[in-house]
Amino acid sequence: MVAGFVFYYSIRTIVYRQIDNSLIMEKTIIQDQIEETDSIPDFSASFGHQIEVRILDSPTSYSQIIRDTSIYDARTRNFLQSRYIKFKSNTKKNTGYVISIYHGLKENQELLDSIALGMIFIFLALLLVSIIVNYFISKKLWHPFYNALNEANSFNILSDKPLKLSDTGINEFRQLNKVFEQMTTKMRMDYLNLKEFNENSSHEIQTPLSVIRSKLDILMQNQRLNKKSMDLIKSVNEAATRILKLNQGLLLISKIENLQFPETREISLKDLIENYLKNYEEILQLRKIRIETEFSDKAIIRINEILADVLISNLLGNAFRYNIDGGFIICSLSNQVLTITNSGLPLEVDPELLFNRFRKGADHPEAVGLGLSIVKKIVDYYKMKISYTCKGTVHEIKLNYRGEAIL
Amino acid sequence: MKLLVVEDERSLSRSICDYLRMEGHICEEAANYRDAVIRTADNRYDGVILDMGLSDGSGLNVIREMKENKSTDRILILSARSSLEDKLVGLKTGADDYLTKPFHMAELSARLNSIYRRDNFMGFNEMIFNEIKVRIEENQAYVNDQLLNLTRKEYDLLVFFMVNRDRIVTKESIVEHLWGDNVVLTDSFDFVYTHVKNLRKKLIAKNCRNYIKVIYGFGYKFSDS
Repeated sequence: MVAGFVFYYSIRTIVYRQIDNSLIMEKTIIQDQIEETDSIPDFSASFGHQIEVRILDSPTSYSQIIRDTSIYDARTRNFLQSRYIKFKSNTKKNTGYVISIYHGLKENQELLDSIALGMIFIFLALLLVSIIVNYFISKKLWHPFYNALNEANSFNILSDKPLKLSDTGINEFRQLNKVFEQMTTKMRMDYLNLKEFNENSSHEIQTPLSVIRSKLDILMQNQRLNKKSMDLIKSVNEAATRILKLNQGLLLISKIENLQFPETREISLKDLIENYLKNYEEILQLRKIRIETEFSDKAIIRINEILADVLISNLLGNAFRYNIDGGFIICSLSNQVLTITNSGLPLEVDPELLFNRFRKGADHPEAVGLGLSIVKKIVDYYKMKISYTCKGTVHEIKLNYRGEAIL
Repeated sequence: MKLLVVEDERSLSRSICDYLRMEGHICEEAANYRDAVIRTADNRYDGVILDMGLSDGSGLNVIREMKENKSTDRILILSARSSLEDKLVGLKTGADDYLTKPFHMAELSARLNSIYRRDNFMGFNEMIFNEIKVRIEENQAYVNDQLLNLTRKEYDLLVFFMVNRDRIVTKESIVEHLWGDNVVLTDSFDFVYTHVKNLRKKLIAKNCRNYIKVIYGFGYKFSDS
């Protein structure tokens, strides 16, 4: 663009200089003539230039001006762009005279315009060609790069396939791919090791826990135990139960993370909730918790049976475990959202934080703190959405259950 | 009952056997695959309690071997893995029931009893404890031949107590037995109390003696002593 302007102006300057030169030359011819013959020459053949020579009465000072002007053309009734020279001097007889020569710029302007036009056209064509060429070249050149990028993007550390990038003929990309592959392979190996470790250690804990539990079962049958020993057994039993629940919770989470629940079925959340509430009817009555249900949809989703059960029992279980005696639970089901609203104690922490592992309300030291993080795992697993808000003593869980199952 | 415990964790198999012997069963132990296969080939057991994760070969192979030998022994699998898949494979191969480690002894006892009753239909479809009689196939309980009007859970609770008579059963084991070993709800012991209270009330209303004793801090004991 800039080059275009520079080129245009330099051509213009050259043209102008030429015009100026020819003006000066004509002027010199006329001047010579005036000064030699002391007469005004005949300008009938002035090639379209307008030449005007005036003899002044008095001598004048020497001056020469060249500039742009426009003159009125009577024939076309237009103002014409012109270049003109005005030259004042004195003859040998000391009479002043003025020579004005106008040189129409019309043709030159046309020339310039067509040059400019041509230039713009060439410029655009060049631009277009270069864009197209560039596009194809970069497409070809960057093809392996974008390929690798796509592959890396769709790479999932949870999947059982390592990252495999297609071979490219380009050395730099080959190196890049190699680094990529090595990195992800290492990542995957680390992840698998860690996963295996978690899983194995959880499983290994189960057996000694079984031993502890079975021994306690036998120990507590002993009728010669005094109250003190019974209390000790009781505490040990409680602690063992806690470890057990923790371990089971962690195992469940790692199983969800390992995508170990592939089999799905069509399950109606409505039926599930109703079954659940029926199962716990007595405890709700015992604690005088009022239940309101409002089902406008059967809410049939494709989900793993076990996970569906865990999901609903965790949500409803929380709703009445952390409820107050004489409180309420409102459970409503639309075709998108399951809302569980319940009374309870006010929360001191941000409710959303309770979705994290081992986060629990300050009032419940006995809780394991995994319930909602298991819920979150399941929700994430099926790409559903969940939110937990708490206004004073009213807790509300909203579950948008229309997710899409992965796998 | 004559039982075989196949479990490589010596300490666990010892306590299982101790507990079962306390209940009056005859209990043998096998610590590995080979031992288990030889014993099941030579003897008849009323129940085989089989650990799926044996160190020298999968417990599944023991089941296969037993089925090949046309053994009709009832099999209850124990597994540290609570995945449904393990459960399905085990049951498909020929096991009769499945229990996830760790379990309550009272639960093991109840499961063994229910397997045994399935087998011994004649004469064993009734459980009798003094004036209480339970007809298993009817899911009904009677006191002095008068029908008790129990809810499903109260009935299950009564059967659980009767199977584990003279033993302390913990509240946890009752919760797990009645509501399944759900990860979440196992600490809601209040309603065990309600169920026990209701069951006791219904029994006493039919002039039954009070057999359900509270063992403070632990749970209950069903006993006439």
